[in-house]
Amino acid sequence: MQRFLDPAVLAGISSLDLLAKTVVDGFVAGLHRSPDFGFSQEFAEYRAYTPGDDLRHVDWNLFARTERCYLKRYRGETNSQLAILLDASNSMLYTSGPPKKMDYARYIAASLFYLAIKNQRDAAGLIVFDDEVRDYVRPSTRQGQLARLFAGLEQAEPRARTDFGKPLQHFQQLLHRRGIVIVISDFYERPETIVHAIEPLRFHGNDVVLFHILDPQEIRPVLKGPALLVDLETDQEIEVIPEYVKTAYRAKMDAHIEQLRLRARGAGMDYHLLVTDQPLDTALREYLSLRQAGN
Amino acid sequence: MGFLAPWFLGGLAALGVPVFVHLLRKHVTIPRPVSSLMFFERGTQSSTRHRRLRYLLLFALRFALLLLLALAFADPYVRRPAADANGRLLLIVLDDSFSMRAGTRFVDAKQQALELLAAKPHSQKAQVMALGGQLEVLTQPIIDEAQLRAVLEGIQPGDGHASFGELGRSIRALSETVRGPIDLHLFSDMQRTAMPANFADMVVPANVTLVLHGVAKGAAPANWTVESVSAPAELADPKDPKRSRVQAVVAGFGTPAAEKTVSLVVNGKTLATRKVNVPANGRAPVEFAPLDVGYGFNRCEVRIEGGDAFAADDASVFAIRRSDPERVLFVHAANDTRPGLYFGAALGAAAQASFVLQSVTAEQTTDLDPSKFAFVVLSDAATLPSIFEHTLEQYVAKGGGVLIALSTGAGQHARIPLWGGEVKDALDYARAGATATVGQVDFTHPALEQAQPGRDNGGWAETKFFYAAVVEPGQARVAARLSDGTPLLLDRQIGEGHVLLFTSGLEDLTNDLPLHPVFVAFVDKAARYLSGSERLSGSRLVDSFVQLRSPAEPVGEVASVEVIDPDGHRPLSLSEARTVQTFRLARAGFYQIRFANGRDAVVGVNPDRRESDLEPIAPDVQQLWSGSKGEASIQTATATGDEAKYRPVSLWWYVMLLTLVVALAETVLASGYMSTQREDA
Repeated sequence: MQRFLDPAVLAGISSLDLLAKTVVDGFVAGLHRSPDFGFSQEFAEYRAYTPGDDLRHVDWNLFARTERCYLKRYRGETNSQLAILLDASNSMLYTSGPPKKMDYARYIAASLFYLAIKNQRDAAGLIVFDDEVRDYVRPSTRQGQLARLFAGLEQAEPRARTDFGKPLQHFQQLLHRRGIVIVISDFYERPETIVHAIEPLRFHGNDVVLFHILDPQEIRPVLKGPALLVDLETDQEIEVIPEYVKTAYRAKMDAHIEQLRLRARGAGMDYHLLVTDQPLDTALREYLSLRQAGN
Repeated sequence: MGFLAPWFLGGLAALGVPVFVHLLRKHVTIPRPVSSLMFFERGTQSSTRHRRLRYLLLFALRFALLLLLALAFADPYVRRPAADANGRLLLIVLDDSFSMRAGTRFVDAKQQALELLAAKPHSQKAQVMALGGQLEVLTQPIIDEAQLRAVLEGIQPGDGHASFGELGRSIRALSETVRGPIDLHLFSDMQRTAMPANFADMVVPANVTLVLHGVAKGAAPANWTVESVSAPAELADPKDPKRSRVQAVVAGFGTPAAEKTVSLVVNGKTLATRKVNVPANGRAPVEFAPLDVGYGFNRCEVRIEGGDAFAADDASVFAIRRSDPERVLFVHAANDTRPGLYFGAALGAAAQASFVLQSVTAEQTTDLDPSKFAFVVLSDAATLPSIFEHTLEQYVAKGGGVLIALSTGAGQHARIPLWGGEVKDALDYARAGATATVGQVDFTHPALEQAQPGRDNGGWAETKFFYAAVVEPGQARVAARLSDGTPLLLDRQIGEGHVLLFTSGLEDLTNDLPLHPVFVAFVDKAARYLSGSERLSGSRLVDSFVQLRSPAEPVGEVASVEVIDPDGHRPLSLSEARTVQTFRLARAGFYQIRFANGRDAVVGVNPDRRESDLEPIAPDVQQLWSGSKGEASIQTATATGDEAKYRPVSLWWYVMLLTLVVALAETVLASGYMSTQREDA
């Protein structure tokens, strides 16, 4: 299974459709479950009968054996809505080796779309943003939605810089219905700003997940000598020495990640750090767990 | 420490290059993109320090590389003290020239040389040479004192003429092969006439310390000598007043005016005596005539009676060969007798030899044997009977001489008999209304020999040529050319003999040469050259060479030569007698020689008369030569200066080895740095 989820392998697949199918089929097969896995008829729990309950849900077989009246409860069969907010700023172009952060984000988004639409029959939508909303595909389950989403992903070329505050109001306007909101970004912003910008989505009853995409070199960069670094978003240049990168930078990056994790959880959001050299199953598993939780 | 080529230290200016590259040039860094500079901080100062530290080793290596290269070119050396005398070569040169026979000069010189050898440290190498007519290397640099002493004691005074110029040249050549310093001790009478024309020729190299040991004490003694003798080498008629006489010049060096008695001795018997007044430091001629000598070789001597301080040069020897007049075969065209007339008249006017001309037409040569003639002249004889031509070829191969003159008949017959070539063209200058003159004359050729040719090209410039044949020289020696470059006189060796080809005629139709005095001299010398009589008798100088056989490959059986020196010894071994081509006349006296062509000769050999002037070199010139500072010419071997105590040891190899190591280290380090840069990029 891992072979189909390895980003290095996926980088060789040009079609997002094929890529998403490869990932999801490989992932689902790896769960050792039936591909017809569903929720609608699934038993959930027994509950003691209380006056006023619908007698149709009483388990008479159990009553016959025990002379006690219990209600048999099933999981409700509801369709969820998946909305992915994809950061398409210039910083997503960074890579120390294939794939780029942007491509990795596309793989995740495509796989989630495929899983949601093909397997879960959920509505799925896409918002591409940098310092404003650049593209929007309304969540839907209509025929051809998956193709539209993939086209949206293909067209999402990084440019400009990230600004979570500005497109926030648009997110709220665009997402009317509750559902799962997944934000994919490298989150080069202060954690409180990020959480503050995304928090309103949670208030609207969405399950919000932050997928923090980082390159391995961004977490543990290696410099053999002094280097002149250029910010991909601002073109600002500074000269940096290896000693700083080995010590202070790593500490700052670790603190940033930890802060973001804590603040996100504090705000009721899930946070996952995804490194571009890791398989994609973490993201898919997170989606399914959220989906199973009742959305 | 010093530098053998210090001007190369100018290359140290190149040290500024690494300084510029490493310290002054702005470093170019390729920018490296990152997602965000949010967590980075500027670190310029510490970065620069790091870079300097990192480049310091590379800078030092490059600096050292250039420094070592400049040093290597400057060739550094250290002066190592000569702990012993092993590093210095003791070179003993003993003058054994003719003048060393005067008084006790040679004995004194040898004694001083032996004393120096005895004082030599046991471990010091020494070499012995003898300076006579040439510098003879008698030993290699060796330590064996007994062998050196034996060689020194074995040197005897010779008859050659010493030349300090040749000594200087030889020592300069020697110093290139001997690395260490050389102590050159010259034991000589320091004759002034031994000095070369150019003082620079006798200067010794810097690593040679010259110590002069002069053996001529006080002023030069008065010395009379027979400076020159003029006598016929061949004599046919003793009663001929023009030829039968001996003229000598008596010279005095450092002498007062005096009356000297001069005798002519023939075969040990005094034939005549003359008294001559020789002025102070002057010269006086004396003549003996007529010259009554017997047939064959006569060993003659002009001697000054009475003796003086240097008796060895009081006589001058020469040989006179008396014979009947030799016949010369003159073959001419049937219709033209004028060439024989002109040639015969010129031959009769010549003083040095006696020839009788026998003129025949080409058709009459059938039964003639050329070996009965001194030489053969073919004048315009375009066609010869084949039997005579064949006989003539054999005659030349055995050492005979032939003069071929191409006249107007050459234009009708392309082939030149005996020569082996053809007439390419015939130049008729008269028809074109012009004449040609003689442009180039090789005065070293025996037929044209002139010691000091005049400005008129030795008399040849006034001659006019109206007709000449064009002949391809091939391997023949071109002795004279016309003004348009056409070869006029060619000399070709066939076997042991020579063929002279004159591309014009011997009459006044094709040129006006017979009307000029130079024609007589030309015919005389050509006759002596072709007949070989010029080397059969007469006199030579010591250290001159005689040619015993032709340098060409021998045809058929190899004939031996024979040389008997003045002492009656045969200096040539049997194998040498069959192979040697030339022989050096090293001794004064009479040499008996049998050439490869079977002809016998007796040659009188005299020392170079410059040896008779015993005046030594002025002391200041000696000091200049030896480089001494006021010391007398006699010095001891122990009186060596600082130069002798130290010897330079070159460090070139060590510097180059170090340069190689540094270059390798620089390459490795620079390569590593470049790969790091690529990774960073």
